[in-house]
Amino acid sequence: MALLTLVLAVLATGFLMVSRRSLDAIIRLYALQNILLALVSFELAGGEAHFILAGLALFAVKGVLIPWYLFWLVDRLEVSHEVEGYLSVSLSLLLAGLLTALAFRVGEAFVLPEAPLPQGVPVALALVLLGILSMVSRKKAISQVLGFLALENGVFLMALSESHGLPLFVELGVALDAFAAVFLAGILIFRIKGEMGHVDTARMRSLRG
Amino acid sequence: MLYLLVFLPLLVFLARRETPLLVRLSVLVPVLSLLLAPFLLGRAAGPFRLDGVGLFYLLLTDLIYGLVALFARGYFPREEAWRFYWAGALFLASAHGAYLAHNLGMLWVFVEGSTLASALLVYHKGGARALEATWKYLMLGSVGIAMGLIGVILVYALVGGATLDWGEVRSLVATANPEGLKVAFALLLVGFGTKVGLFPMQAWLPDAHAEAPGPASALLSGTLLNVAFYALLRYTALMQAAGLFPFASGLLLAFGLLSLVFAALFLFGQKEYKRLLAYSSMEHMGLAVFALGLGLPWLALFHTLAHSLSKTLAFLGASGILALSHAKEVGRVGGLVLHTPALGVPFVLSLAALGGLPPFPLFFAEFKAVEVAMQWPWLGVSYLVGLGLAFAGLLYPMAQMGFGQGKPIGGRGWDLWLLWLLLFLLLLLGVFPPVGVFKALEVVLWRL
Repeated sequence: MALLTLVLAVLATGFLMVSRRSLDAIIRLYALQNILLALVSFELAGGEAHFILAGLALFAVKGVLIPWYLFWLVDRLEVSHEVEGYLSVSLSLLLAGLLTALAFRVGEAFVLPEAPLPQGVPVALALVLLGILSMVSRKKAISQVLGFLALENGVFLMALSESHGLPLFVELGVALDAFAAVFLAGILIFRIKGEMGHVDTARMRSLRG
Repeated sequence: MLYLLVFLPLLVFLARRETPLLVRLSVLVPVLSLLLAPFLLGRAAGPFRLDGVGLFYLLLTDLIYGLVALFARGYFPREEAWRFYWAGALFLASAHGAYLAHNLGMLWVFVEGSTLASALLVYHKGGARALEATWKYLMLGSVGIAMGLIGVILVYALVGGATLDWGEVRSLVATANPEGLKVAFALLLVGFGTKVGLFPMQAWLPDAHAEAPGPASALLSGTLLNVAFYALLRYTALMQAAGLFPFASGLLLAFGLLSLVFAALFLFGQKEYKRLLAYSSMEHMGLAVFALGLGLPWLALFHTLAHSLSKTLAFLGASGILALSHAKEVGRVGGLVLHTPALGVPFVLSLAALGGLPPFPLFFAEFKAVEVAMQWPWLGVSYLVGLGLAFAGLLYPMAQMGFGQGKPIGGRGWDLWLLWLLLFLLLLLGVFPPVGVFKALEVVLWRL
C-alpha cells in the first residue's frame, strides 16, 4: 500500500513538472521525484545491502547534485526563470493526461509475469512520455534537459518495477552517464547563451535539409 | 589486461596541451592496442571479455583512429589541437569499452559514453552552427539511447533478472517469453538505430557530421557508427538464439531499405560536400543493417569495414579540400584531379568507392546482397533502385569536384600518403575480399 502511494506520488510529480511554468519549481519537483524514487527502491530492497547502497548513491547524484547544479546554472545564466512553451498550460495538461492514459493502456502489455512492482510499469512509461512531451514542447534549452531527466527517471522506475533494479555497477554507470550528459548540456547552454545571446532552441535553425 | 585496454587511451592526457606530444601519444596508443589486443582474444575479466567480433571492431577502430590522429596534426592550428585529441581519447576509451563489454548493461553504458565523448568532438571550438548541431545530437542521441535502455531492462527482466552477461543471457533467452523479447528488440532497434543513423531517427546525423571538424567527421563516420551497429549485431544474435530471427529480420530489412532510399533522395538536395558524405553514411549503415536482415552477418561486418575505410578516406580528403579552398559547396570546388592530384585522385576515387563502383569493396558487398535479396524480387528490385539513386546522387559531385571548373587550390604540408594508404587498402580489400575471415567471424557472433 505504501508502495502504491509512493508510485502515485511519483506520477504526480511527473504531471506537475509538465504543468508548471517556473524553472525553479520544476527543478524542485525533479529533486522530490528522486527522493520518492529512492524511497521506492528502499521499500523494494527487502534488506539487501547493495540495494540500499545504490539507492543512496542515486539519491546523492540525482536528488542533490544534479538539482544543485541546475539551480546554479539557472542563476548564472541570467535569463528569466520562466518556461516558454509552444503549448498553453491547459493544452499541455490535456496532452499529459492523454499520454498518461495511453501509458496505462499499453503498460499492461509491458508488465512481465515476475515483475516485483507491476503497478510501477505504466507509471514509468508515463514518465518517459511526459519527459518527451516536455522536451518537444518547450523552447528553453534547460527545460529540455529537465525533460530528459524526467524521462531518465522513468527508465529507472521501469528497471525497479520489472526486475528489481539493474545490477549495482550498471546502475552506477547509467547514473554517471546521466550526470555527464547534464554537465555537458550545461556547458553547451553557457556557450549558446554566449554565442547567440539567448537559450531558445526554437531559434536555432540554421541547419536545414 | 582487459582493463588496461579500456584505460589505455586516457594515457593521452599525460601530454596535457602540448601538441607534438599529444600527436605522438595519440598515435602510440592505437598502435599499442593493435599489438596488444590480439593476445587478449578469449580473455575475460569482470564484465569484460574479448571475442573475435569485438577484436575485429577494436582493431578497425584503432587503425582508423591512428591514421586520423596522424592526419589531424597538420589540420588543427596549434592552439586548438588539444580539444580534438582530448575528446578523441575519451571517445576511443568508450569505444574500447563497448567492444570489450561482455555484459548488456556495460555495453549500453559505453555506447552512451561514446555519444557524450563524440558530442565534444562535434562541438570542438563552437560557433553557432556547431552548437546547434551538438545540441541536437546530444538531445536526440540521449532520448534514442534511453529507449535502448528500456530494451536492455526488458531483456534483463525476461531472463528473470539473473544476469546481464552475454553468454548466460544467450542460453536463457531460448526459454524467455517471445512476445516480450519482440517488444524489447523493437525498442533496442529504435535506440541503437538512432545512433546508427537509421531513417527516420537520422535527423542529428547530417548536422553533426557536417559541422564537426574534418578529422572528427572521419571518426564519427568511420568508427562511431560502428559502435552502435555492433550493439545491433549482438542483439540480433540474441534474437537468433531465441529463435526469433524472422521477426528481427523483418524489422532490420524495413529500416535498412528505408534508410537507403531516403538517404539516396536526400543526396540530391545537398550542396555541401560534407553533408553529402554524411547522407552517404546513412545510406551505407542502412545497407549494413539490410545485409544483417538478410541473414548475412558476415556481409554486414564486411560492409561496415569497407564503409569505414572509404568514408575515412573521403572525410580526410574533404577536410583537406575545405582547409585549402575554404569552400563548403560542391559547385565552388573543381578540377581537383588536374590541379592537386595528390589530394584529388584519392578523394574522387573515394566517392567512386562510396558509389559502389568496382573494383572497390562496397561493390562486392552490394553485389552479394543483391544476389540474396533477389530471392524476393520486389526486395531485390527496391534495393537496386535505391543503389542506383544513391550512385546518381554522388555522380555530379564526383564529376564537378574532380574535373569541373573551379579555382585551383594550393598544396600544403599534409600527410597525404595516408590517403593513398587507405586507397591501397580499399583496392586490396575489393580485389581480394577475405570472405573466409568474415564467415569465421559470423560463426563467432552466432554461436557465442
